[in-house]
Amino acid sequence: MLIHILRYKFLSYMKTTFDRRPVSIVRGVASLFVFGGFAYAAYVFASESTCFLLDRTRTGLYLFHTFISMMLFVFFVTVNLGNIIVSYSTLYRSMEVSFLLTKPISFTSIFVLKFLDNFFYSSTTLFLGAFMMLLGYGKYFGYPLYYLLGVMLVVLVPFMFLSACLAVLILMAIMKLAGKIGFRMVIAGLFTVYFFFIYIFFNASNPMTLVEKLNSFFPNLDTYLVQSTPEILRYLPNQWVAEFLYYSARGEMIHALPYAGILLCVTAVVFCVCLFVARRFYYRSWLISLQVPSAVQAPVNPTRKHLIDFRSQSIFSSQIEVIMKKEVLIFFREASQWMHLVVMIILTCLFSFSISNLNLHSPVLHMHLITYLVLFAFGGFMVGSLALRFVFPLIGLEGQAFWALRTSPIKENKIFLIKFFLSFLIVFILAEYIAISSNIPFTRITEMRPLLLWFGIFSAFWISLTTVACNLGFGGYFANYFERNPIRAASTQGATLTFLVTVIYLIILVALVFVPISAYFTSVFRFQYFPMKLIILPGLFFAIISFFLSLFGFVIGLRSMRRDF
Amino acid sequence: MIELKNITKKFGNLTAVDNLTLTIPRGEFFGFLGPNGAGKTTTIKMIVGLFTPTAGDIIVNGHDILTHPIEAKQSIGYVPDIPFLYEKLTGREFLYFIGGLFRIPKVVLHERIAELVDHFEIGSWVDKRTEDYSQGMKQRITIAAALLHRPKTIIIDEPLIGLDPRSAKIVRETLQIQSKNDVSILMSTHSLAFAEELCDRIGIMNNGRMVLCDTREQLQIQKARYDGKFESVFLEMTKQVR
Repeated sequence: MLIHILRYKFLSYMKTTFDRRPVSIVRGVASLFVFGGFAYAAYVFASESTCFLLDRTRTGLYLFHTFISMMLFVFFVTVNLGNIIVSYSTLYRSMEVSFLLTKPISFTSIFVLKFLDNFFYSSTTLFLGAFMMLLGYGKYFGYPLYYLLGVMLVVLVPFMFLSACLAVLILMAIMKLAGKIGFRMVIAGLFTVYFFFIYIFFNASNPMTLVEKLNSFFPNLDTYLVQSTPEILRYLPNQWVAEFLYYSARGEMIHALPYAGILLCVTAVVFCVCLFVARRFYYRSWLISLQVPSAVQAPVNPTRKHLIDFRSQSIFSSQIEVIMKKEVLIFFREASQWMHLVVMIILTCLFSFSISNLNLHSPVLHMHLITYLVLFAFGGFMVGSLALRFVFPLIGLEGQAFWALRTSPIKENKIFLIKFFLSFLIVFILAEYIAISSNIPFTRITEMRPLLLWFGIFSAFWISLTTVACNLGFGGYFANYFERNPIRAASTQGATLTFLVTVIYLIILVALVFVPISAYFTSVFRFQYFPMKLIILPGLFFAIISFFLSLFGFVIGLRSMRRDF
Repeated sequence: MIELKNITKKFGNLTAVDNLTLTIPRGEFFGFLGPNGAGKTTTIKMIVGLFTPTAGDIIVNGHDILTHPIEAKQSIGYVPDIPFLYEKLTGREFLYFIGGLFRIPKVVLHERIAELVDHFEIGSWVDKRTEDYSQGMKQRITIAAALLHRPKTIIIDEPLIGLDPRSAKIVRETLQIQSKNDVSILMSTHSLAFAEELCDRIGIMNNGRMVLCDTREQLQIQKARYDGKFESVFLEMTKQVR
């Protein structure tokens, strides 16, 4: 039965993927180009980093793999969190599940079907990224391609699969708990646990402490890494992968293979546990999930006036007023939207607060430059992620109810602009907050010369403008009006493509600011005069690139709003 | 008043609507019939601005929907075939939302919503979120929303889907009242009896073309040619399948 359904799902996938219509072909070629660029960038990054760390900084092989282990841990958590979020919609909110449940198919088969659907759906880009990084890493050691393919299939795919299995187990545990103590309690509990972990995480690996220690240990970073490796990591799957790679690099396969064996066995056991739990509990937890909307929804009191109420007068024109109110109300009535936003705002605040207290002791010029560029890129990355998660789905989330707007006497431009300004306002405030906080430490070392601060404010404006315009525009172009889940909408192929465009844009920006910022730090350290034209010209290019990319986002978005619906 | 002048809509190689010309004068109740895939919904979607025609002109109450969409849409009340609503809004909020889009002043809007809530007997659940509504409840909300701005033209696609007999009666009476008030109505339906009972003129589409367009009186002559049943006329006119 499972094979039968999978066959039809595969046929359907092939038909939609290899659509021969001109628009689809153009879209496919564009995707191929961008994904190809991303894959190549991942390959070059891995290859260059390996070379740099092992040859130039002479980081030892073991320390290098410890570093890989840390990265794999982050990767494991990312896959895990991604799967928890996406599997809620695939396992519990999918129409396909409702359909299959009415057919004589076992619950376990439905679970396996949707689990695989979820795993491959949410991990495709990660597969590509992981494999290209592996290729880049393998190039340094001169591994043949077939060996790297083997490592991918036997080590990295099970590693990701294990993470996904744990994710659905956690999700089913949450549903079980919700059935016993209620959704409100579970949500409150989850928030508490989440913030507890954030607190622990920031206490243990505060970026402020990390950068300060790196500064004080520089250039002996390997010494620092030796000291910073926690013992508990040895019992985690990321460490098994790292140990496998380490012993392989030393040519000691006899020591490497047991780690791959442990990983495969544990993955198989956890998958079996998943099947066992699903067999006993999936259908029951699906029934519990039906109560979610009413359980988290506050009762409506028609006589009471709310802060945002359609009945109240407004300073805006009636069209602007009702669209803004609709956007805000729908956003705050969707638990997955506001909760995620709150979490992201808190994370942003914690990050910014930590960074603003950073003390840069190092007398080494390059450390300041690298720290500045890393913070600049990371700030941009955060803004891009925010825009992707909340702005990209905005047009698609109109859903099938979009007819109401499209048949009303309102220009499409107006609808687009209202959505743009609402999202821009939020992203812009957060971007400015990040920019100002991450520039405070540099303002301290440059004896309160505010140039970097002003440049940060300027950059934050253009980055937020561009990311919001691109995400809204591309979101309109790739809109799937049948997708009601914002998280799924923000993880589609179109969303990935948009994010890759954002990443390429950020890389260009980092390359643009590299020379002027480097010259600026040199002038500060050598007490030299810094000619302003050095930063004005790249700033101008910065603004021009951002402007044209934003314009492109606007044009593509507006055109998508006029498409047949 | 609706004027369709040689409109054509193509989706790739498929011609969904083929050179259709039709005029619905003020106050006329026009019934739009045809089998599935005949092109009724496509025609309706072009009139309300959801589809752009491949060729031809659409004039609604003197305004071209392509060149003056805002003015044209201001005079249309549209009820889609499937009444999708914003699930996180209540029915009342949806009515206020639509009222705002049609620039109805707040004071007038409060009164009209109260009237429509009363008329459609939706007061007991209008303040619940629409995600909890049945198909019939959603249908009543969309019909109420279409009437909010007192349109000169009503375009309604399959009005009876999901309605219980009492709701169907309310909708039928509402449409009759609107027609008497000089509002032109274009109604697409699969219910031959409903069309025959309400419409001044009936058009049957098949394969994107209008294969019959007669007044109620002319239709009696057509029926007499067969066995006196409208169903036989319909089946004969639509037997050629694409």
